Amino acid sequence: MSNHLMLTGNVAAAWGARLAGIDYVPAFPITPQTEIIETLARWIEFGEMEAKFLTLDSEHSMITAAGAAAATGVRVFSATSSQGLLYGMEMLYTVAGWRSPFVLVNVSRGLASPITLEPDHNDIFAARDSGFLQLHCSTCQEIVDGILLAYKMAEDRRVRLPVIVNLDGFYLSFTREPVDIPDADHVAQFLPSFDPFNQGFQAVAPFNEAVAVLGGSSYSYFRYQTHLAAMNAEAVMSECAALFAETFGRQYSAIESYRCDDAEVVFVMMGSFATKAKAAVDSLREAGQAVGLLRPFLFRPFPSKAFREALAGKHGVAVVDQNLAPGLGGVIHTELAAHLYGLSGDKPVLVSFIGGLGGRDIEQEEFFEMAQITQQAADDGHPPPPRLLYTSSELREIKKMQTIALHQGGEKCI
Amino acid sequence: MSQSRFKTFKDLPKEHLLGTGTAMCAGCGGLEVLHEIYDILGEKTVIINAAGCMTLLSVYPYTPFRGGWLYTSMASAPAGAQGVRDAMDILLAKGRMSTAEDMETVVLTGDGAAYGMGLSSTSGAIERNLHFLYLCYDNEGYGNTGQQTSGATPHAARTATNRGAVGYPGFKKDLFAIWAAHEPAYVASVIGAEPLDLARKVDLAKNIHGPRLILALAPCPTGWDFEPEETVEIGKLAVQSGVWPLKEYRNGQIKHTKIPKKRIPVEDYLKRQGRFVHLFEPKRNDSLLQEIQTRVDAYWSRFE
Amino acid sequence: MYRIRFHGRGGQGMKTASRILGTAFFREGYEVQDAPRYGAERRGAPIFAYVRASHNKIFERGVIRNPNLVVVADETLVTMPAAGVMQGVNTTTVLLIHSRLTSREWQDRLRLSNPVCILPLGEEGEAFMAWHFIGVMCAAAAARLTGALSRETFDLALGEELSGLTTSVIEENLVHARWAYDQMENVQGCVHSISPIPASSYMKPDWIDLSFEDAKTSTPAIHRELTSEDVKTGLWRTMRPVINRDHCKSCYWICSTYCPDGAIRVDGDGRPHIDYVHCKGCLVCAKQCPNNAIEAVPEKEGDV
Repeated sequence: MSNHLMLTGNVAAAWGARLAGIDYVPAFPITPQTEIIETLARWIEFGEMEAKFLTLDSEHSMITAAGAAAATGVRVFSATSSQGLLYGMEMLYTVAGWRSPFVLVNVSRGLASPITLEPDHNDIFAARDSGFLQLHCSTCQEIVDGILLAYKMAEDRRVRLPVIVNLDGFYLSFTREPVDIPDADHVAQFLPSFDPFNQGFQAVAPFNEAVAVLGGSSYSYFRYQTHLAAMNAEAVMSECAALFAETFGRQYSAIESYRCDDAEVVFVMMGSFATKAKAAVDSLREAGQAVGLLRPFLFRPFPSKAFREALAGKHGVAVVDQNLAPGLGGVIHTELAAHLYGLSGDKPVLVSFIGGLGGRDIEQEEFFEMAQITQQAADDGHPPPPRLLYTSSELREIKKMQTIALHQGGEKCI
Repeated sequence: MSQSRFKTFKDLPKEHLLGTGTAMCAGCGGLEVLHEIYDILGEKTVIINAAGCMTLLSVYPYTPFRGGWLYTSMASAPAGAQGVRDAMDILLAKGRMSTAEDMETVVLTGDGAAYGMGLSSTSGAIERNLHFLYLCYDNEGYGNTGQQTSGATPHAARTATNRGAVGYPGFKKDLFAIWAAHEPAYVASVIGAEPLDLARKVDLAKNIHGPRLILALAPCPTGWDFEPEETVEIGKLAVQSGVWPLKEYRNGQIKHTKIPKKRIPVEDYLKRQGRFVHLFEPKRNDSLLQEIQTRVDAYWSRFE
Repeated sequence: MYRIRFHGRGGQGMKTASRILGTAFFREGYEVQDAPRYGAERRGAPIFAYVRASHNKIFERGVIRNPNLVVVADETLVTMPAAGVMQGVNTTTVLLIHSRLTSREWQDRLRLSNPVCILPLGEEGEAFMAWHFIGVMCAAAAARLTGALSRETFDLALGEELSGLTTSVIEENLVHARWAYDQMENVQGCVHSISPIPASSYMKPDWIDLSFEDAKTSTPAIHRELTSEDVKTGLWRTMRPVINRDHCKSCYWICSTYCPDGAIRVDGDGRPHIDYVHCKGCLVCAKQCPNNAIEAVPEKEGDV
């Protein structure tokens, strides 16, 4: 029996942690994740959940404590966003190198500067080389499920790496959707108690962890092993997803494929806005266009096997990046292009779109237009240059604000 | 203090627990203090380390420790200790670890972390009443990177980033006072050159619950510019001149464990170290020397 | 291209040596690249420095794998694998060793027929003094061996690199450097500029594909205690403390407690024993022994 409730993404995340039977929550508040730790704190304080909760002095300390506790042998959960994720960035790389498995939820939020509160994916992508695995949720259900999958993957002996489960601020964090909360017994079947394996400080067994390594050959070995472990995770995720489906009846895969079977053109998009692409796909199909959506759920490791299978026979790909690397462009576009370049045979044309930065909405009409342009590019083989989704009326709005903000040669504003 | 099992020098440990073969400089005052303390704390310790000279105690595959070690970062060793301690408590509470397996969490950092970057995580750990021991080896500069000025550098010392005629124009931060202001379980200043005083304090700290600081002045041949064999001598002079007070904080009270009856002039301590040579050559800097002496005198006048 | 490596211990001026030689080549119109190699650099620990010099632009980088001249300031490093003295030495590499032994003795010892040039040690007392100047002496000798650098050019380079020191100290350094330069008269120019590794006939690199190993194996974690004792830090010593049993009063604690490395253990009868495998020769014990029962004697080559 499971519970069927209306929950915000944040509360769903708290439920995921609770169901996973976590022992320890080192915490630090930041918009828009704070509700997660408030929920957990309340459950723990009122005896609904048995774990230790404490607030650290910063995210850098928080991630250190999380990794150290996992390195001592308990199941750990934490949450952050944006500036907090970056404040602890040093420690993300560090604890991944400790091979310290735990789950960190990131509630995505655009990065300063300019400082903002609404979501995009620059924060989570800043961590993409840290050694943490990444799962990206597009619904509140996926958050609960994603966290359970994340623990299973993280603690697998072929992996032993921490995992970030990403959910978008506002559009998921503060939005309620129907969520099935699985019952504890089922969860216990799927996720047994924490396996310390390579971790643990005990008086009988000397354990010197994270020691300095001098010499390029030694360092290369350890670093590469972390990479091999991350690469194992695509296959490990398949196995975990199969067991998940068997236990809970919901299917997950590295890349969700929506109406792609006979599609000529597909969107590639991640996170909560990808469901908007699904709505657009439905409308486009109504209008007779063979369009689908590929939604990576797993982003680290880069799901290369899944992409190879999903893109076979596709002619055009509209990559919609909700992020922007200054001087380069969209991250998903870049990584997908690199992946495709290494393959033999026919490859689809990639068209790059940048949209949704700082939570800017993406309208249905914009999806239709992106599909149109991508079909055209697939037909003539020439992708247009990358496009930032931005309209003339938006520019007019900025200009109005600029007349307020900016003085012109000593004149006062009227 | 008379209750201590360390009554005379004969009671000092004959058995040395810290392994030899580490990469610390010959004559390292910090290593001296670490081995003296490790002899008393014993092997049921997890050392949580922040970036500094002592990070190189454990370089794969070599370690001088018998218990645990975890290198964290420069700023967050106390947070690492928090994670380890909390996890152990959880394992103990859930019966997944026996009390015989329990270990003391010891943070080991230099002055760079303790006086500067690590203050946020340290303050947080004390505030949360974390049960841990913080051992700071203070060589009054960022030693591992070549002795640049740190928050612990004393007035007029020459460092890699203050090479001028007057040395460092600032003043040494008072870490003892910063800790004491938090009202932790225990704070003590020690030095390797006074091993009996150190042993008593560490033994006492070992049996107290809560956040405890052992702050050790660590004479540094490489950074302070003197021959390695002088390390203990210079340590003794630091105490005899009153530059390094040996004291404790406990239950709101500060008590000195050694008050030099007749303090030797500060310059007897300073002139032994190359990092103060500009105070004596090519010409004596009487005003700066007097300034330093006056500050030391002012400190002790509060206790006379 | 000249590819020259200097090997010594921290504190022996190998970095200065490489810079003087580099500057000399530079003044002579060569393209130059010089650098020290820092590891866990500590006084006494083995370090090396290198110089590349060529009439063409230098694109090579990093550690020199195919030296045509290897200069060894401290002969105890030759047989220490960790020091890497013999790394990449091929049949044409010239060795220059600061030693009391002869060329022939070194060739026999190393089972090589490479040219070995000797920079002699002085008499016992002299040798000790010469350690302060060994860096400039090695640089001067190396300069002569290349045959490309005149006395004048070398002197100017030395003056430039030591410009921060007093005139009298620079002069002393010049005296020692010139002496070393003179010692190489008979072997001037025996080091020739050589070409890089040919691409037409190279030895294939031994590449493998690393496979996944589980986290117990493949993290930088040490699951044993005291592995540091495998590191023979006794090899750092230039002076050795020796206990005179007639004067030792078995006080129990002074030398043993003060030894920073814990390299002195006390037996059941209260007698201290120095662990020469690990003793770094800091001489704190000798300095602190109240009965002057510990004497410092120069370490002879081959003793450990």
